Amino acid sequence: MTDVLLPLSIAVPIVAATLPLALGLRYEDVGWPVAAVTTLGLVGSAAAVALEVYTAGPFDHELGGYAPPIGIELVADELSAAVFLLVTLVSAATLVLSRAIGPRGNAFHSAYLLLTGGLVGVSLTGDLFNLFVFLEIVGLTTYALIAADRSGASAYASLKYLVVGTVGASLYLVGVGYVFLATGTLNMADVSVQIVEQAGYTDPLIRAGYAFIVVGFALKIALFPVHSWQPDAYQRAPDSVTTLVAALVSTASAYALIRVTYSVFTVDFLAANDAITTGVLLVAGVSILAGSGLAVMQSDLKRMFAYSSVAQFGMVAAAVGIADETALLGGVVHLVGHGLMKFGLFCGLALLAAGYGARRVEDLASLARDAPFASGALAVLGLSLVGIPPSVGFLGKWYVSLGAVRSAGATGGVVGIALAAVILASTLFTLAYVARVIEQLYFAGVDRGDAERGVADHGDAGGHADGPARDAGDAVADGGSGDATAPGTVPTAPLVVLVAAALVVVGLGFAGAGFESLLDPYLSEVFA
Amino acid sequence: MTVPTAALTAVPPYLVVAVASLLVLALPRAVGHGLAALATAFVFAQAVLLGDGGTGAHLATRFLGFDVVFFNVDPFSLLMGVVVGFLATAAVLYAYGSDAPKWVTSLALIYVATTVGTIYAGDWLTLIFFWELMAVTSTLLVWQYGGAAVRAGYRYALFHGTGGTILLAAVVVHFANAGSFLFSATTGIHPAATVLAAIGIGINCGFVFLHSWLPDTYPRPHVAASVFLSVFTTKTAVYVMYRAFPEGGMWLAYLGGFMAVYGAFFALLQYDPRRLLSYHIQAQVGYMLAGLGLATAVGEFAVVGGFAHLFNNVLYKSLLFMAVGVVIYRTGLEDIREMGGLWRVMPVTFLVYVVGAASITAVPGFNGFISKGMVLDSAHEIHEYVLLLDSGLLWWLLVLGGVGTFMSFIKLGYYVFFHGSASISPDDATPFQTAGMALAAGACVFLGVFYGQLIELMPFTEVIRGEEVYFHPYSTSHLTESAALLVAGFVGFFALKRPLGWLAHHMRDVDAVLFPAAFYAGRWSVWGVTESWAAVDRATMRVVGGAKWVAMNPRQLLANAGVDAEIRAGIGRSVLFLTLTAAVALFALLLG
Repeated sequence: MTDVLLPLSIAVPIVAATLPLALGLRYEDVGWPVAAVTTLGLVGSAAAVALEVYTAGPFDHELGGYAPPIGIELVADELSAAVFLLVTLVSAATLVLSRAIGPRGNAFHSAYLLLTGGLVGVSLTGDLFNLFVFLEIVGLTTYALIAADRSGASAYASLKYLVVGTVGASLYLVGVGYVFLATGTLNMADVSVQIVEQAGYTDPLIRAGYAFIVVGFALKIALFPVHSWQPDAYQRAPDSVTTLVAALVSTASAYALIRVTYSVFTVDFLAANDAITTGVLLVAGVSILAGSGLAVMQSDLKRMFAYSSVAQFGMVAAAVGIADETALLGGVVHLVGHGLMKFGLFCGLALLAAGYGARRVEDLASLARDAPFASGALAVLGLSLVGIPPSVGFLGKWYVSLGAVRSAGATGGVVGIALAAVILASTLFTLAYVARVIEQLYFAGVDRGDAERGVADHGDAGGHADGPARDAGDAVADGGSGDATAPGTVPTAPLVVLVAAALVVVGLGFAGAGFESLLDPYLSEVFA
Repeated sequence: MTVPTAALTAVPPYLVVAVASLLVLALPRAVGHGLAALATAFVFAQAVLLGDGGTGAHLATRFLGFDVVFFNVDPFSLLMGVVVGFLATAAVLYAYGSDAPKWVTSLALIYVATTVGTIYAGDWLTLIFFWELMAVTSTLLVWQYGGAAVRAGYRYALFHGTGGTILLAAVVVHFANAGSFLFSATTGIHPAATVLAAIGIGINCGFVFLHSWLPDTYPRPHVAASVFLSVFTTKTAVYVMYRAFPEGGMWLAYLGGFMAVYGAFFALLQYDPRRLLSYHIQAQVGYMLAGLGLATAVGEFAVVGGFAHLFNNVLYKSLLFMAVGVVIYRTGLEDIREMGGLWRVMPVTFLVYVVGAASITAVPGFNGFISKGMVLDSAHEIHEYVLLLDSGLLWWLLVLGGVGTFMSFIKLGYYVFFHGSASISPDDATPFQTAGMALAAGACVFLGVFYGQLIELMPFTEVIRGEEVYFHPYSTSHLTESAALLVAGFVGFFALKRPLGWLAHHMRDVDAVLFPAAFYAGRWSVWGVTESWAAVDRATMRVVGGAKWVAMNPRQLLANAGVDAEIRAGIGRSVLFLTLTAAVALFALLLG
């Protein structure tokens, strides 16, 4: 019975996406309730699917009753269930944020539901072409969402992503086409069998197909040097949209990279093509260093953490290229962990921007006195991003580095060691920019009473100059009411979500053994 | 695994003790100490109940990708658990009776907890974790007292930090070669890590010339803290030494022999009672290492001798520290020449001292007699470098150490309890001090008389009880040997009293050179490091400042250089990058 949840989890949000627009003709503000109800249902569905997968094992659903390889198949296994769960939880949490700080229009909620449906589709599909469709749904809604606040800069960022993203998606499609030519099938499980039977791992068609697919994904994930759409998109999008996009969109593409690499092309393909692993590792290493280095240079907070994503996804890509069980475990942990951390970080930045107009590093000066909880959560999440234990950020980096060193030990190559060194170096870079944020938040020594009124030029001064109880205390009055946030406060409901995210990030740091045992079936299958 | 074993091993004992350590701080003094005693008694009871039926690797799991065992039960860890739990209970009672502040007891308990963690570790990773924690907690325990203890605590921390780091290096080398941290995966530490492990553990054992922290630190803190310190660090080190070198080695045996002589000789020269006892720790550890070192040359008998001596030493050494602690607690004096005639006013303390001294000097009827006899018998089978009486160097070293032990305890007892008439008349031990001492003293006598029970607690029981091994502690030859040692001790002390007094003023231990040398080396290196660091710092700041400016103003830099170009990738250039990347990927793959 549970397998019906899979198509429903994709179809319901996509169908529900029409409701805010349709009902909007008659009622105002109907978008948020529709989105909230749908997303809550998705969370429940994801929980049920995850429970089933982790207790009883993977299962699938044949769409329309057509059996694969002809029909389209939806698959829930240990890996996709984790991403599914992440997608629904972060979507639901973002809805809490967007209610407080906007955008609130019906159009936004329609796009939001489409995006969620697309992301769920990416995580559950077992078909290569179907994956392209969902990637396009995700891409198109993301273009629309980025431009949602109608400024010129965001329109340009959106257009840039639209053009570059479309070319990238086309590359993926070309790759899928090559693979289809070589194998005559699109079902992922079937392709992995047919590659061996009909083509072989060194067939030029297969190789070219993989090259196109990887470049397409690299663009969607935003790896250096094809990341150039991403900082603009993250920086210019409305804050809530940045939170959602940064946490999930690249994550879904990185998930797809892992899925296609290990479930379709398989680890034997990587073993048979040294050039591919070398190339992936090279791109990953450069991404890690360049992303971290560029992040250090930024003064705009959202841009800083956007470049940070380039580096973090470099680590996930590295885990894919190392082709080691421990490293891939690290890659998956880091994928999920990074999603949570970036959700928290951008959520925290959005709250501080809404309450205090903080957009650049120097705007954060001594904000910890006015917003202790938001600042504390930001600090915790930042340190987790650095990789300080106990945190999920540490866990992911640890397993990736361990896998890199182990693979170096197994093959006697320097690549693994070099990669571990790169990860260590990027940790230092990460520390450099996170430390800047924390230093500004806590030790800038600015008297907020004046600074805040200078920055947020609303007339509501004086009433909020009395200490740390403010960001929780005052916000009770208007948190969740749906009105614009009063300057000098942080809305309560998203603050609670933010603090919860920080706690989860730390708590997952103790769950290393849990991750190992939950993901073990998948890992031992692909490394069989 | 039977149900009681499963229930008993569900909770690692060190957690219980650690929780008790926090509760001591939070609760009223009496209640807190009661709970603390219960927690340590739990360690004892758990080890006794587990017995031989409970052996196995409990709480085995994966931590950070490594196989680890948090609660490893085998005959060796069990015997350590029994004696540590027992003695810690006695010491908590003693601490309560000695007006130890809550902080002392709390820190002592967390120190006990880390000790128990070290003992029950089933792999080198867990072991080194608790080992380092032991160094931290024991340093805190020393520091708590303030005053002169602070400087000594720094030196203590330096020694143990160094030792811990060397052992950590040994563990890393071991893992790199053996591929597993688990004890069960290898026999002892990997040969590649031998020297590192020997030095790292040896610092905690008090190897000759690595021992100066021992007499330096243990006389300084609160008397109750000394009781805890005196038994756990060094004895755990001996136990870990066995984990690293289960097959022993003659180098270890001879090192033990020299430690016995060196420690006993320097003990003879001391007038601070706790300093004297600290040197005896080194001497006694020497006997244990001699036993462990003969594991291959002599066999299980020597190992059991070493561990039995460890077991007994924990009891009588702490007993002696307790007795001496009562005297210091009541009189406030720390020089035995200022004491004297106390046996009339402190009869209980005197009696306890006699039991402890008789045990450590191996008088028949006390537990030290049993275990020291086993070590001496093992050494007697070694016939290298034969000297007089058809006995080898090792045996003579150990016997010489034994005579020195007799002499120094006659000296200690003579000065404290006789030596002229009492000029002061302090009270005797408090009830709880007495209770703690009675526990330890009772165990010393019990195990001396019913020595079968001692063997029962040891590993390899059936080997000792077997036909091949000659084990009769109360044979004529042993008794004669003991009497000879006693006579030699008395004669030696009273004959050499004046020369020894002269020597005590002129003979300094290695710390006379070591500490100033370390101090000045430290000062010069700090100066050198600071200055060179300052130079590096200036250069770095200049480079960073330049880099930061470039990073913050990349456009300005280009403009200064006369280049007029936009560096942020627009749409066109982004697509170009994408196309180029795809092209490179294709070429690399298809042509590569």
